[in-house]
Amino acid sequence: MPRILSTGQAINEALAIALASDPDVIVLGEDVAGGGARDAEDVDEMGGVLGTTKGLVKRFPGRVLDTPISEMGILGTAVGAAATGLRPVAELMFIDFLGVCLDPLLNQAAKLRYMFGGKARVPLTVRTVSGAGMRSAAQHSQSLYWITTGIPGLKTVIPSNPADAKGLLLAAIRDDDPVIFCEAKGVLMQRGEVPEGDYTIPIGQAKVVRAGGDVTLVAFGATVAVALAAAEQLAKEGTEAEVLDLRSLQPLDEAAILGSLEKTGRLVVVDESTPRCGIASDVAALCVDRGFDFLNAPVKRVTAPHTPVPFAAILEDAFRPSAEKVIAAVREMG
Amino acid sequence: MATPIAMPKLGMSMQEGRVVAWPLPLGAAVARGQIVLVIESEKAEVEIEATASGFLRHLYVAVDATVPCGTLLGAITETPDEAFDAESFRIAHDHPEAPRASAAAAPRVATAPERAIPRSGSKPIAPAARARARELGVDLARVPGSGPGGRVTREDVDAWAARHERCIEVAPGVALEVPATGHGDPVVLLPGFGTDVAAFARQVPALESSFRVLGVNPRGVAGSDAPPAASYEVARMAEDAACAFEGRAHLVGASLGAAVALELALAHPERVRSLVLMTPFVAASPRLIAVLEAWCRLAAEASPETLASALVPWFFGAATLADERLRARNARGLAEIVARVPATTLLRQAAGLLAWSGTRGADLGAISLPTLVVAGADDLLAPDAAAVARAIPGAAFLLVPGAGHAVALESHEAVNDAILAHLARSQAGGNSRGRSVNSAAGRPPISKDS
Repeated sequence: MPRILSTGQAINEALAIALASDPDVIVLGEDVAGGGARDAEDVDEMGGVLGTTKGLVKRFPGRVLDTPISEMGILGTAVGAAATGLRPVAELMFIDFLGVCLDPLLNQAAKLRYMFGGKARVPLTVRTVSGAGMRSAAQHSQSLYWITTGIPGLKTVIPSNPADAKGLLLAAIRDDDPVIFCEAKGVLMQRGEVPEGDYTIPIGQAKVVRAGGDVTLVAFGATVAVALAAAEQLAKEGTEAEVLDLRSLQPLDEAAILGSLEKTGRLVVVDESTPRCGIASDVAALCVDRGFDFLNAPVKRVTAPHTPVPFAAILEDAFRPSAEKVIAAVREMG
Repeated sequence: MATPIAMPKLGMSMQEGRVVAWPLPLGAAVARGQIVLVIESEKAEVEIEATASGFLRHLYVAVDATVPCGTLLGAITETPDEAFDAESFRIAHDHPEAPRASAAAAPRVATAPERAIPRSGSKPIAPAARARARELGVDLARVPGSGPGGRVTREDVDAWAARHERCIEVAPGVALEVPATGHGDPVVLLPGFGTDVAAFARQVPALESSFRVLGVNPRGVAGSDAPPAASYEVARMAEDAACAFEGRAHLVGASLGAAVALELALAHPERVRSLVLMTPFVAASPRLIAVLEAWCRLAAEASPETLASALVPWFFGAATLADERLRARNARGLAEIVARVPATTLLRQAAGLLAWSGTRGADLGAISLPTLVVAGADDLLAPDAAAVARAIPGAAFLLVPGAGHAVALESHEAVNDAILAHLARSQAGGNSRGRSVNSAAGRPPISKDS
């Protein structure tokens, strides 16, 4: 009997497995326990703003820690704890708040191992929620994973489904380098089959989630579902799209991208972030640079426009990549 | 002697300027150093001084016009009434390298109705197509593109290469596309003016079970090479066709293809087992010539669909034209075929056809090969097919009632039956001399020498 869980439940399960299997693992963030400094028995009302860590504090008292509302404090604490022997999982409520805690990540977590010649390590995981679609307006809806992806020394992963979320989070926690684990809003509520027990998905491995020979749709996080919907529609028109779920933005599975491009000759990147300096541009550049002779058509990027995320529902929906936009891009490339 | 006034280039970034004012009236006396022009560039107005004294003789550019740097704006002549040709002066100014004589009498550019020949430099080519072309040794200039804006894709290169796998070299550097199918004695299909072997699409299925069917796309047609030439002579086309098969073959030619078959039979009778001449002619009728002229012009100026719709009334009989669906289907099929023959080829074929026309009428009596002549009773373009049949000793004649010039397409069942019977007799060593073949409608055919 397959177990159907939401992505949030799968993450919760991964955290429980990590906490149970390694005494060095701690979880910290705003309201991840449930509120303030109250005793564990009384709390657990929230489990974080989206309830992802609900129930953990009762099972692992003292290791699931509410913090003050200070991202600088959370990340500073977490980086220090990681550098001195713990394996913390810090929650940055929304990736939009990256700006107030960038220094511990950019100049500490990402640099320590390198600057200490490998004698230091920062086995830190930062869970953070990204993306639009929940009417959370411009300051709580951004997809800023391109910032962490661009910082050498950090890894960035972004699952597209509950099963991958569990395996990738366990891999992130057990990785000896700092890993940013993005929970796309479009994915968090998604439900799907999740294997029992302890398993990991290697960081840096993309996955072909739908095979096809006519065009490659590169997607990740919330856009995988968009790409799959577009692929279904395209199939009705006789175009078989291959959907490649990157799963990991850094390291990037370049071989998988180029391999699929070699097969199809056409490639669309679907990225819910804004277009400049982003993952879509990065993948497009890879294709032109190292897959030039495979290109049978221009590489197309389906992204959000270069604007803040709108609050108005109709505008937010228009802002996000859609199956229609992906199909239009495929048709345009001929 | 005239001195030009041109749009100056006042800075590294200046590409163009706007004429703000001509302070002096046309014809006014000008002193060297006098302000003769005001221009604006990059939001600044600049006064331009005359570089020679004389008279403001001609203004080329009006106030408010914005033109690129270097553009001739006006001319100053030494005297108010000396000889001055404004247009020649402009041409000489714009083309300083051109000899004065040719500048004075600008050559009229020949307006040959030629469709632009695609070149690799001017059409988009996908990188994957370039890579595949390198791998297969394909010349991209010859590969038509099917992508947006005519982009050549990897699939286009593959398709072209696949088509050319069976290309046969008929002369140094000239390869013809000869699609082949079936097994048995060779039957060679020779398409008519401006068409390719697809015109025989309804014959091939009937033939391929008993014969090796070789379709010869002539020079410049479909995937065959198009060597530059003023004309593609019929005799040359016959020599080309002779290279497409070994030993002896049955020849099936339609219209111009029938002329090629005749020419081959006359030049190399030992290579020919039998002839099927569909809608043949030995002298092009005035109507045929007029249609060829229109064909060439339409191919250069209009879409294949437009060309096909104009050709349909000339190709098909009244019965086919009366059926709207049949007419539309044939128009679509014809559009696909004519699209594979560029206007340059049409002009060359037409030149060859007209040069050949009238040269072989007296030679038909020398043909001693088993021959079947097929004609459409409603054929406006080759009305003398019956006369051709009469002139070839022993030729059988099939006249299909109601059919037009495209008799092989519109009455394929009757035509195929007649061809198969003719081939069977010719294979058996006999011939179809003196016979007449029943037409599809069962009406009495016109038989030779009756």
